[in-house]
Amino acid sequence: MTTAMTTATTAAKTTSMLRLDGVSRRFGGLTALHELSLDLPAGARHALIGPNGAGKSTLLNLIAGTLTPTTGTIIVDGRDVTRLPARLRARHGIGRSFQHPAVFQRLPVAANLALAAMPGRGDIPGPISGPQHADGVAQVLDAVGLTDYNRTPAGQLSYGLQRRLELAMALAQRPRLLLLDEPSAGLDPAQIGQLTTLLTNLGADTTILLVDHHLDLIWSLAQTVTVLHHGHHLATGTPDQVRADPAVRDAYLNPGGHPNATATATATANATANANGTERLAPRTSPGPVLLRVRQLRAGYHGAPVLDKVDLDVHDGEAVAVLGRNGAGKTTLLNTVAGLQPVQTPTRLEWDGRALPTRRPHLPARAGIALVPQGRRIFTGLTVREHLVCALAAHRGADTPSQARTQAWTVDRVLDLLPALAARLPHPAQRLSGGEQQMLALARALLTQPRLLILDEPSEGLAPAVIAQLTQALSGLVADGLAVLVAEQNLTVATALADRIIVLDRGHIAMTAPARDLDQDGPRQHLQALLGVSGPTATAAADRVPADDAAQLTGAAESGLR
Amino acid sequence: MTTTRPQTTPAAAPVHRYPRWRSRQLLLGAAVMLAALALPFVADAYTVSIASTAIVLAVLAMSTQLLTGIAGLPSLGQAAYLGVGAYTAALLATVGGVSNGLVQLAVAAAAGAVAAAVTAPLLLRTRGVLFLMASFAVAELTRTIAAQWSSVTGGDDGLHTPPVTVWPGTPPLRSDGYAYLYLLGCFLILVVVVAVLLRSRLVLALRAAADHEARLAALGYHVNRHLFAGFVCAGALAGAGGALLVAAHGYLSPADLGLDMSAMALLAAAIGLGTMRGAVAGAVLVVAVRDLLGTPTGGHAPALLGLAFLVVAYQPAITDRLATWKRSRQR
Repeated sequence: MTTAMTTATTAAKTTSMLRLDGVSRRFGGLTALHELSLDLPAGARHALIGPNGAGKSTLLNLIAGTLTPTTGTIIVDGRDVTRLPARLRARHGIGRSFQHPAVFQRLPVAANLALAAMPGRGDIPGPISGPQHADGVAQVLDAVGLTDYNRTPAGQLSYGLQRRLELAMALAQRPRLLLLDEPSAGLDPAQIGQLTTLLTNLGADTTILLVDHHLDLIWSLAQTVTVLHHGHHLATGTPDQVRADPAVRDAYLNPGGHPNATATATATANATANANGTERLAPRTSPGPVLLRVRQLRAGYHGAPVLDKVDLDVHDGEAVAVLGRNGAGKTTLLNTVAGLQPVQTPTRLEWDGRALPTRRPHLPARAGIALVPQGRRIFTGLTVREHLVCALAAHRGADTPSQARTQAWTVDRVLDLLPALAARLPHPAQRLSGGEQQMLALARALLTQPRLLILDEPSEGLAPAVIAQLTQALSGLVADGLAVLVAEQNLTVATALADRIIVLDRGHIAMTAPARDLDQDGPRQHLQALLGVSGPTATAAADRVPADDAAQLTGAAESGLR
Repeated sequence: MTTTRPQTTPAAAPVHRYPRWRSRQLLLGAAVMLAALALPFVADAYTVSIASTAIVLAVLAMSTQLLTGIAGLPSLGQAAYLGVGAYTAALLATVGGVSNGLVQLAVAAAAGAVAAAVTAPLLLRTRGVLFLMASFAVAELTRTIAAQWSSVTGGDDGLHTPPVTVWPGTPPLRSDGYAYLYLLGCFLILVVVVAVLLRSRLVLALRAAADHEARLAALGYHVNRHLFAGFVCAGALAGAGGALLVAAHGYLSPADLGLDMSAMALLAAAIGLGTMRGAVAGAVLVVAVRDLLGTPTGGHAPALLGLAFLVVAYQPAITDRLATWKRSRQR
């Protein structure tokens, strides 16, 4: 049993907000979390980091009451909550966010907040209560910048706004202990800056325990950090202590010790717009003829175009990265090319000199376009082996010109490239960690023998070490001459892979540049301006831009609602 | 080339479009109301009896919609609570000698609520397709009890009930026309009750539970207690529908609470796409297809209902195609 007391507890032992005593959790034969003890004083800012599958989300779910521990006790603010259901823990002052934004998709934004802030929420059904309550909701809406959307169903908000709404819902409960599960996942650098400011400005009466992979956020926010690895406690201490710990470096920050992996892992950890000193991982041959030609692309969902007048060429063997803020249209562009998204006139799509069929995703797939979608989209019922067999079988007999050019992908060759999957072949895919699922999605795409590989946010929600492995595998593919079109928030990954970047801004192409030009000041500053990170680092930008916003939100959440 | 397509003007459109849409709806509602009131004076007795059936099914469809479209619990067994309400009303009229329709309505609603409260602990352990099957099982069980317990229910022979009265001392409503107007009045009362319910905190929590139960629990809500309350409300509504069924037909047998009753209510709710208004319109449509179009098509009403089901299932694809077609014509 590991006992880890945070250093801060010595002073504030009497006002412990959260105490874990030998808490563990088993799922069948698998121990997701070994016995862990932890003590957080009131007002603490504690972070939980570790590779994918380390048991971080399990721990949050144990504290929130979504899971019950196999052993141990959980004491929140002096009360033993080990056997309490989630709703009673919520009433005891635990608020949380979920790994995927959990909002009530069909309900309007205002109703989402109203449910969260309902006075005496609970058991007696009655009319939606009076004007002072409506005022409170309006105030929070205003503070989170969602007033314009108050009648919009939450499911129609962009990803970043859904995260914002979920956080506002958690804050509207006025929690004493706030549990955040990867709050920065899927946010663009500017939004991460806003999030950092917002959490920094929360009052000391809220204790924060957060899980995240965005190390800049962790280092700037957390006073103490706990590192988990394969369900074991590895280290607890201040950010400096944890960064200096050799065991932590091996397990999380840069496993393997490969020089390239190290560079990517540490650089990746900063996911800032600092492209300086990024080295190309793959020496390149010159790209071939135009493979994909997009002209006058116009596409959208309900009439209003998300993309308009987008022109794009991808040459054979070229890697192109699509950058831009959330909602700029990156996913729409990729889905259009993959045939998942209808286009509007006067769009022209050409593949290898011929018109590319749209709205029938199997045709682009057969023509040699493979998509690794955002969020991986694993088939939950199938094992890893079944995934691979399925992907291979779908393409048997199809017209694959790539086979003539390069060696065809087989299961063995894919497993050579992604060795992490080899050990997991008989396992159901939904049991895999996030990193393994991403590898599986990549393997599945490769087995369709693509000439163009499309990746939508491949590094989202992954630990730095896994991002490094993935970047290396992808760089190898690019070096072998596979054309790649990748959308990525993580600029370091994007520039490490791509020959050329294009930046989307509100549905238009705002910038195109060779990736090597980003070493120069001019293009780099232009890019940073477009991505909303106007300073040299994300944290600097965060301090300036949305500080007022965040202060307002916390103020309103604390004062307006009761 | 890009400018030829007429796009709606972005900012101005929603501002003045909303009230026009609202007033058009009010106008439509008033027209439907007038037509429903005028029906017994202009239509033959057969059409009026079909309209009575439609009202009963509309109440059951609202009950089903409360579970299916709002709380996310697809029910294929609301006829069970309709049956409990109907037998309660019928026994009240025959054995108890209470001919007052409104008393029957209230007691039947209470009986439906009690039946729902008794069965809820069993049903609310399940979700999705399992809930559908469990609710179907409860309905079949109820129908079997109604058929077997002949000393009380009259078995498959059924129960004949006297016409209802509206007020103590007033004559019973013997003519089809008056019975229909009585049903319409009761229906309006129930519509008002449902409208109030829809604005309640309970329904808000039910909608939220359908979207994300874990989130609702994490906000401190007792999810199952809310679902229980919603289920009991739906049971009461179905029970009230049972009293209307007895008042409409003057006769009740186990066949009235069979699978097809539950299935038609679910179909009407599905046609309504999650809204109460839609469920009522769906109920009228389903009864019209079955009873009005069934005769001229030589008794192929079930096939027509099947077709209606398919149209609902393909509705998104069809509207999508229509929209594309319209746009291409405008260009």
